Amino acid sequence: MNQVLEWLQFVLAPQMINGLSIGVAVVLMALGLTIIFGLLDVINMAHGEFYAIGAYVAVAILGLGLSFWWALLLTPVLMAALGYVTERGLIQRVFHSKDRHTLTLLLTFGVAVVLEDVLKIIFGANPLRIESPIPGGTEMLGLFFPNYRLFVMGMGGLVIVAVWLLVFRTSLGAMVRAAAFDRYMSASLGVPVSRVYAGTFAFGVALAGVAGVLLAPIYSVFPTMGRDFVLIAFSVVIIGGMGSIKGAVLAGLLLTQIQSISSLFISPVWNDPLLFGIMVLVLMWRPQGLFGKLGHA
Amino acid sequence: MPDPHISSPRGPSALRVFTYLFFFGALCFALLAKWMGDVFFLRLATEALIFGGLALSVDLLLGRVGLLPLGQALFFGLGAYVSALVLKEWSASFWLSMGITLCVCAIAGLIGGVIAIRAKGVYFALISFGLAQVISKIVFNTRELGASDGIIGVPAVAVVPGVDSGDPLGFFLVTLVIILGLYVGLRYLMETPMGRQLSAIRVNEHRVPFLGFDPWRFKLMAFVGAACIAGVSGALYPMLRGFVSPELMFFQVSGNAVINVIVGGTGTLIGPLYGSVLLTGLRSVVGSFTAHHQIVIGLLFVMVVILFPRGLVGYLAPLLQNRLNLPTRNRGEL
Amino acid sequence: MDEILSVRGIGVNFGALRAVRDVSFEAQRGKITAVIGPNGAGKSSLFNLISGAIAPSTGQVFFEGGEVTGNSPDKMLRAGLSRSFQITNLFFELPVYENLRLAAQYLEQGRGWLRPVASSAQAEQRVQELIRQFTLHDKANELAGYLSHGEQRRLEIAVSLASRPRMLLLDEPTQGMSHADTRETETLIRNLATEHGLSILLVEHDVDLVMNLSDHVVVMHQGQKLAEGTPEQVRANPQVQAAYFGERQEKASC
Repeated sequence: MNQVLEWLQFVLAPQMINGLSIGVAVVLMALGLTIIFGLLDVINMAHGEFYAIGAYVAVAILGLGLSFWWALLLTPVLMAALGYVTERGLIQRVFHSKDRHTLTLLLTFGVAVVLEDVLKIIFGANPLRIESPIPGGTEMLGLFFPNYRLFVMGMGGLVIVAVWLLVFRTSLGAMVRAAAFDRYMSASLGVPVSRVYAGTFAFGVALAGVAGVLLAPIYSVFPTMGRDFVLIAFSVVIIGGMGSIKGAVLAGLLLTQIQSISSLFISPVWNDPLLFGIMVLVLMWRPQGLFGKLGHA
Repeated sequence: MPDPHISSPRGPSALRVFTYLFFFGALCFALLAKWMGDVFFLRLATEALIFGGLALSVDLLLGRVGLLPLGQALFFGLGAYVSALVLKEWSASFWLSMGITLCVCAIAGLIGGVIAIRAKGVYFALISFGLAQVISKIVFNTRELGASDGIIGVPAVAVVPGVDSGDPLGFFLVTLVIILGLYVGLRYLMETPMGRQLSAIRVNEHRVPFLGFDPWRFKLMAFVGAACIAGVSGALYPMLRGFVSPELMFFQVSGNAVINVIVGGTGTLIGPLYGSVLLTGLRSVVGSFTAHHQIVIGLLFVMVVILFPRGLVGYLAPLLQNRLNLPTRNRGEL
Repeated sequence: MDEILSVRGIGVNFGALRAVRDVSFEAQRGKITAVIGPNGAGKSSLFNLISGAIAPSTGQVFFEGGEVTGNSPDKMLRAGLSRSFQITNLFFELPVYENLRLAAQYLEQGRGWLRPVASSAQAEQRVQELIRQFTLHDKANELAGYLSHGEQRRLEIAVSLASRPRMLLLDEPTQGMSHADTRETETLIRNLATEHGLSILLVEHDVDLVMNLSDHVVVMHQGQKLAEGTPEQVRANPQVQAAYFGERQEKASC
C-alpha cells in the first residue's frame, strides 16, 4: 500500500503536473485554432508556424536584452499584428470563392511552408534554448514543483478564462459571434465584418504565439517545432469539436494528461500514434467531436 | 468549372495536345542529354518523373474525387522501402520488386482507406496527414529499417534486357514509359463509368446514393488506386538513387506533391506531371544558390492559389481548346 | 387495385415538436397519389420519412410488401423507389447528358465499370429516351447549371426516373416554375402514370395542379392526416375547406 502511495506521489503526480502545464499551452493553441475555425470557417494549417514564431519572437526579444516578461507582453501584440495582416492580405482574397474550404486550407498550408523557411533563414536550423525565467521550485504536499511550470499553469489558466469571458460575456464577443453566424445580416447591422474577421484571426494567432512563448523555456526552440505541435493541436480541436471552446479546453487538458500518464508506461515514440489513434476513433464514432456541431468542413 | 475530361465534341482535346507535348518534350530532352553526355540532368529528370507519379496519385484523389490528401508520401515511402528491401535482401529483380510493392501498397491502401474515407474535407486531410506523420515516425525509429539513415546499398537492377537502373538514359526512358502508362491508365479510367462516378462524387456527393450507388465504396477504391500509384512510383526511387530514407515519408514530400498538383493544374492529370517537372527543376536551380528553396516554392504556391487556382494546364487548356474548336465553327460566330 | 406503398402509423418528433403524428395511408400501383396541406402541415417531413431521409420515431413504411422504413437512399433505389428534390439537386458542373447517364448507369447492373462509357448500351439508350421524353435535345451538352429553372426542374425529374423505378416520389416538382412550365410538367407527370404505368407520390403546394392530376389525395394538417379520398371528395370535405380557408382568412387579415 505504501508503495502505491509513493508511486502516486512521486511518479504519477509530478507527471500529471507536467502534463497540466503543457496541457494549458496546448489548450491555448487549440483555442486559437477552434476560434478561427468556429468564427471564420477557416482551417489554419499555418497555426503551428505561428506558435513557432511566437517562441522565436520571444527569443529575439530576449536577445535584445529585455526580460522574459517583456517577451510575454510584447509577443501576443506582435503576433496579432502578423495575424491581422495575413488575414487581410491573403486569406480574404480567397474567402469569396466557391472552393473556399479547399483554397483556404491550401493557402494556409502554403503560408506555413513559407514561414517555416523564413524562420530557418533568420534564426538558422539549430535548436535554441531559453533560460527558465523562474528557476527553482516550491515544495508543496511533499512534492517538488518547478516554479516555472506552476507559473505556466496559472498564466495559461488566466488567459483561458479571459478568452472565455471575452467571447461569451462581452459585446465584442457578441459582435464576433454574430458576424460568424450571419455575415451579411451583421454587416447590414453595422458590424465591420472584414475587420472582425481579421481581428478574430489575429486573436487566434496571438493565442498560438502566447503558447509558443510559454513553452519556449520548457522545450527548445527549432524551426520545425510548429509542424510537430500542429498535429496535437488539430487532434485536440477535432476531438473537442471544431468551433467549440469548451471542447478545446476539455479535450486539451484530457489528452495531455493521457499523454503524460501513458509516457510512464510506453516509450515516447508512441505518443503521437496514441493521440492520433484516439482522434481517429473519435472521428469514426462521433465525427463532430465531443461538443461540436455537424455541418462544418 | 467545366470538367476538362468530358472533351468537347468539336476539335481534338487540348489535354491530348499537352500530353503529346510532354512526351515528345521528354524524348527531345533525353536525346539532347545523351548527345551532351550528361548524367546529372537525366537523373534529376527521372526523379521529377517519379515524383510526378506521386503527384498523379494526389490528383486522382484531389482533382477527381475531391479529397485532399496531405499524407500521400506514406504510400510513396512505403513503396520505396518495400522495393529497396526486396532488391537488397531478396532478389534484384525489377518485376518482383514492382509486383510485391503493388500488393503491399494495395493492402496498406485498403487499411488506410477504411480509416480515412469515412471523413470528409479537412478531416480527411488531417487523418491522411496524421497517418503519414505517425508511420514515418515509427519508421524513423525502427532500427531494422535503418532508422534515420534508411536503407543504403540497393543494387542496380536489369529492367529489360540491355537496360538497367544504373543507366541514366535507359532508366529515364523506362520511368517515362511507366509514369506515362499510369497517366494513360488514369485517363482511360476517367472515361469509364467508374471514373465518371468518382467525378460525380466530387461534384455532388449528396445525390450519388439516390442514383443507387454507395459513394464510400468508390472512394475507397480510388484511395487504394491512389496508394498503388504512389507506391509504384516510390518503388522506382531506390532503383534510381540506390537508397531510401524516412524523409521520403515526411510531410515535405506530401506537401510538395500537393503543390505540384495545384501549380500544374488540379484535375487535369497531365498538369501535375508538368508541375512536378517544373518545380523539381525550380528547386534544383534555386537550390544551387541557397538552401532555402522551399520559400520560393511556397511563395509561388501561395500566388498560384490566390491568382491562378486552376493551375498552369488548368488555365491553358481551355484557351487552347477554344482555338482548336474554331476551325469547325463559322468565324463570324465568335 | 393493388397497393404499392403502404404507410402505417408513421410519425417523427423533433424534440418537443411532433412534426408528423400517426399518419397512415396507401398508394395504389399505377396511380398518382398526392399529399397536400397548408404550410407547416408536415408534408415535407412526411415525404422525408417515406423516402428514408429521416428516421421515423414511430411507424413503418412498406413498399411492394417489403419493409423499407428508414432505408438508406441507395437501398431505396435498388428496391425500386426513387425520389426527386424540392431544391434542385443536380450535378451542376456536368452536362445534362452526363447527369442523365450517371443516373441511367444503374441499369447496367454492375456491368462494364471499367469499359469505355460508350459501351454501356443500356445506359446510353435510356439517356436518349429521356432526352426525347423531356425534350432536352438542344440542351444535351449544356452544363446543368446553365439551364433555366424550369428546365432544371424537368431534368431533376428525368434524373430520378432514369433507373426505371417502379415508384417515383416527387418533392414539389413545380416549385418556382412559371405557369407554362407547370402545365407542361403536369402533362408529363400524367403521361408517366398513364403511358408508363409508373406509380407516383407527390407532395405539392399547387392545389389546382393536384386536383387536376391526382387519382388519390391525402390532406395533412398540423402533422396529422386530416382527410383522404378522390380530388372531388377532398374538395367537398368541410374540414379540408376549413383548414385551407382558415389559412386564407388569416392571410387576408394581415
